[in-house]
Amino acid sequence: MTAVIRLEGRRRGVLRRSWDYLASFDGLAKTAMWTLAVLFTAALLGRLFGLGGSPTAIVGPRLAAPSLAYPAGTDSLGRSLLPRLLEGVMTTLLLSAVAVLLTAVIATLCGIIAGYRGGRTGGVIMRVGDILYAFPAIVLAILVAAVVGPGYIAALCSIVLVTVPLMTRMVGQATRLVAQRDFITSAVISGVSTPVIMTRHVLRNISGTIAVQGTYALSVAILVEGGLSFLGYGVQLPGSSLGLLVQEGTLYMVKAPWLILLPGIILVIAILAINLIGDSLRDRFEPREARSLE
Amino acid sequence: MRLLHWLPGRLLSAIVVLLGASILIFAAVRSLPGDFAQIVLGPLSNEEQREQLRQSFGFDRSLPEQYLLWLGNAARGDFGLSLASQQPVLDELASRLPVTALLAGMAMLVTIAIGIPLGVYAGTHASTGRGSAAARIVSTIGISFPEFVLGCLVVFLFSRFDLGLSVGAFTSPTTDFGRGVVSLLLPALVLSVFCVAATARTTRDAVIGVLVEPHIAASVARGEPKGFIIRHHVLRNALIPVLTLTATITAYLLGGAVIVERVFNVPGIGSYLVLALDRRDYTVIQAGVLLATAVFVIASLLIDVLTGLVDPRVSVAKKGRGA
Amino acid sequence: MRHAFPLIGGLAAATLLLTGCTGEPAAGGDDASTEVAPGFLAVADESIASSGTFRAYLDYDTVEPNGLDPRTADTARSWTIMGLAYETLVNIDENFEFTPGLAESWDEVSPTEYVFHLRDDAVFSNGRPMTAEDVKGSIELLLETGSAWSLQLGPIESVEVTGDLEVTVKLSAPYTALLGALANTPAAILPVQEVRDGTVDLKTEMVGTGPFVPTAHVQDESWSFEQNPHYHGLDELGIDAVELEIVPDEANRLAAIRDGSAQYVFFNNADALDLLAGTPEAKVVNQQNTDFYYVILNSTNPDSPLADERVRFAVNAAIDRAQLSDLTLAGHGLATGVSPVSLPGACDPEELPSQQLSDEEITKLLADAGAENITLSLQTWNSESAPGKIAQVIQQQLEPFGVTVDIEIVDDATYGATFYGSEETAGADIGVSWYAGYGDAAMVSRWWNTDQAGFTARFMQGSPELNQLVVDASEEPAGEGRDATLTKLCAAVDEGAEQVPLMTRPGVIAYRDDLISPTINSNEGYGDIFRYVTDFRLKSEG
Repeated sequence: MTAVIRLEGRRRGVLRRSWDYLASFDGLAKTAMWTLAVLFTAALLGRLFGLGGSPTAIVGPRLAAPSLAYPAGTDSLGRSLLPRLLEGVMTTLLLSAVAVLLTAVIATLCGIIAGYRGGRTGGVIMRVGDILYAFPAIVLAILVAAVVGPGYIAALCSIVLVTVPLMTRMVGQATRLVAQRDFITSAVISGVSTPVIMTRHVLRNISGTIAVQGTYALSVAILVEGGLSFLGYGVQLPGSSLGLLVQEGTLYMVKAPWLILLPGIILVIAILAINLIGDSLRDRFEPREARSLE
Repeated sequence: MRLLHWLPGRLLSAIVVLLGASILIFAAVRSLPGDFAQIVLGPLSNEEQREQLRQSFGFDRSLPEQYLLWLGNAARGDFGLSLASQQPVLDELASRLPVTALLAGMAMLVTIAIGIPLGVYAGTHASTGRGSAAARIVSTIGISFPEFVLGCLVVFLFSRFDLGLSVGAFTSPTTDFGRGVVSLLLPALVLSVFCVAATARTTRDAVIGVLVEPHIAASVARGEPKGFIIRHHVLRNALIPVLTLTATITAYLLGGAVIVERVFNVPGIGSYLVLALDRRDYTVIQAGVLLATAVFVIASLLIDVLTGLVDPRVSVAKKGRGA
Repeated sequence: MRHAFPLIGGLAAATLLLTGCTGEPAAGGDDASTEVAPGFLAVADESIASSGTFRAYLDYDTVEPNGLDPRTADTARSWTIMGLAYETLVNIDENFEFTPGLAESWDEVSPTEYVFHLRDDAVFSNGRPMTAEDVKGSIELLLETGSAWSLQLGPIESVEVTGDLEVTVKLSAPYTALLGALANTPAAILPVQEVRDGTVDLKTEMVGTGPFVPTAHVQDESWSFEQNPHYHGLDELGIDAVELEIVPDEANRLAAIRDGSAQYVFFNNADALDLLAGTPEAKVVNQQNTDFYYVILNSTNPDSPLADERVRFAVNAAIDRAQLSDLTLAGHGLATGVSPVSLPGACDPEELPSQQLSDEEITKLLADAGAENITLSLQTWNSESAPGKIAQVIQQQLEPFGVTVDIEIVDDATYGATFYGSEETAGADIGVSWYAGYGDAAMVSRWWNTDQAGFTARFMQGSPELNQLVVDASEEPAGEGRDATLTKLCAAVDEGAEQVPLMTRPGVIAYRDDLISPTINSNEGYGDIFRYVTDFRLKSEG
């Protein structure tokens, strides 16, 4: 009985604390969070309740301007753009988020090992990272996408490969700094096992770096997904992503400018919001250090 | 002197990176789906013709053999023939290199000319709230605008309305340099937006970082004029992170050029590379991607050396290796 | 989102306002298909004293495994570009009738024997006059390649020089499409003597009798041509030089015609008609083509519902060609059977068996075959936008019949790997692509003859009856008898439904009325958008 009450109390505490934590951000970052939340919710509602209709159904005249019936106009096949936009937002955000989650896991693992262990293993990890880092992002991305075959998986793989090297390097550096600190040395002396040190002490102390780098990786991910879809190697029709919608819209810029402007603007807003949140996190976790380019 | 200590190691690591990249490129290109002979000869070809073509390009040998052959030839500057045009790949790339180099050079120039002053201004005025917030928003918008969105908008505006610059006609800088520069103006500006913003952000952070260091406080206390402090102390010390950034920007420009060249129909290395990828022009993809990585590796090597000269305190190890 | 709407509204309104203010008439509409003379969308004003450089923008370049060798050239763009330098024995006119080319006249002695009388003033660009030996040798050289076009030449038994300027071609069986095959660039007349002794390399040089000679070529970028000083019609040329720019991106080609850097531009996208609204100097014409889009319904996978002919036929019948054309080709695509509808003697697509089925009958057909609520995989390629659009519309059209289509759009190379070049069944149930339609109603049907077109083996089984119909159609002389055979052939293709013709693939040509006066035929068989280039006149020095 008491245990249950304690649990509930604790849970409320977590919620409360998260809320307080969010509230502690500055106005710009808060606006950015709200914007992302609105975008995501709209996309989610669109997928769950078919807001705006089916994204693939041919419903109206071709290239109709935005109106009550088609709030975002129709595309070249007479499909309503609104549901396609919502699907596009969902795809872009979800794809990028999943990719960055993967990146975070891989980069944290490799970064901690390389930074804490150093030695040959660390050297190999860093060198592989260097090799990947030597490729211009979009070149690496299209190469990977061409090998995997255009589509969701290709976009996912490319994003991971593009974002992993930098994040691994940053995590490695942060780990190295933490590893030199006294409490780690004392933990080592008192015989705490390496895995425990890595997860308990190191991970906790580099979580800020991971959060900051993860956020920036998310904005890079959206850029890469967009660029890839734009070049024809990312998400493919009849699917929808913001990059793909922009690409589809280029041809109709004159006759139906909403086809390129709406997804383009949403794309910019999403990336902007993520970058603002990243800046805010960075100010918080790395107040005064020489910082890298995201 | 310190330079001599770490330079050989640094060179070695650059070579290792390039070799690694070459293996990766070779492996990736050879695992591309779609039979190359099928693509080149089309569906109407027969197996005999396809086999003959594969043999003529040495695709019947083992993969390690092919790799070593390619690497050996590449080291001697022979990248083979383009499968599509039957011309030496090196010639094909060389004829397109000036365009991309000019495009990237112009973008880099814009980046330095606008990004650094902007960053210094934002950094030295960081304490005055409104200017700082404005600088922050502007530079964040800059790094949030994908080239393909910005590029498409520019193409739309300039082709729909008569705004003085043309987006349809491209003049090669090798035939007419002046007109070549003019026709690359819009692509270079679009390409530079991200870099200007990124440079401004890094410069700003670096300037703020230097400003709080004790020797600046000492200079201020000595009553040295503000302009003097910025020029002599701040800029010099803030230059290092900015220099490091230049390597990243070089890589970025190479990648961004792929998209910008595509959007503006600039016949440079980037658009050629995408075309080659569509066509499975193995030899061109291999050489093109290797070239891109080599440019980055060499650029970061040079910048490390430069950084070492500017500030002897900086050793490569401390920077976590730039390659 | 909240931010986006008012902003978009404003921008859209601004655009409308600007378009409205200038009061420019919209290009496109029916204007684009209006003929100024029977068979022509534009006719050059030959009274214009003209000289200068003709500047055209094309969508893609010649990309051939054998470089510039016309014999193995596979794409329409190669034929167009190589056609500037090479000539053929006969030409084809706006009504798909044959006119003199390098042969001044010809006699059809029997259905298996043709005698060609050559003109005496044809000279190769290296200065050597063309002889009968060049004609004989060119046909033989083409046959040696075993290329796709050598198949289209038909059952040639022998080619003999029978006079000073006379060549006799004998066939082992009647073959109506012979002239149609000889009229296309792969059958160009080559400088055989030089080719055989190795002084001319066809892969890297173009030495023909045509009006122009290439002076520079940067792969996928540009071509420069100047006049062939030995061309027999030099006096009538209105163009001194040709500059071709290869611009893959459609938006950039649009921009080039808007600002006048291009005089003549080709588009694949039928919407280009509308997109040039606001550029009154740009005239846009919609050129009908014998090329057509088709779907593959793979019959070779026993596990697929499409292994059942009834299901394939039902799927075929469920595709609404008119809506497909409206949505994907702005209504410019014409429904067609396997004989391209724009060619003389072609079968009537309305009469095809699949078009007689009602929705209820389609549903019943599927139910009889036990194929209710089936899922089919569709794959198509993405280097052009139309196939992907066609796939999406077909998906929607099949949905009401309980057929779910999973679309996968891939790059061209992956598509090729799915459907061609291996032994096992193709990797998808449905494919979408297009075939060139050529200049004779029976020519393209060769790809439905499984004896002749081995490349269809991964998705098509065909039947001896269908193969025989293809052979019959190619052997019968043009006329009512052949028309009846073509109708039967169309029906057989339609019912077998392994490769289902959908609709023609029109092209759009835009030109600057203030800069050039071109001749453009309404109906093209070989994708040659420069067919009448020797008639073109330039209005001001370019």
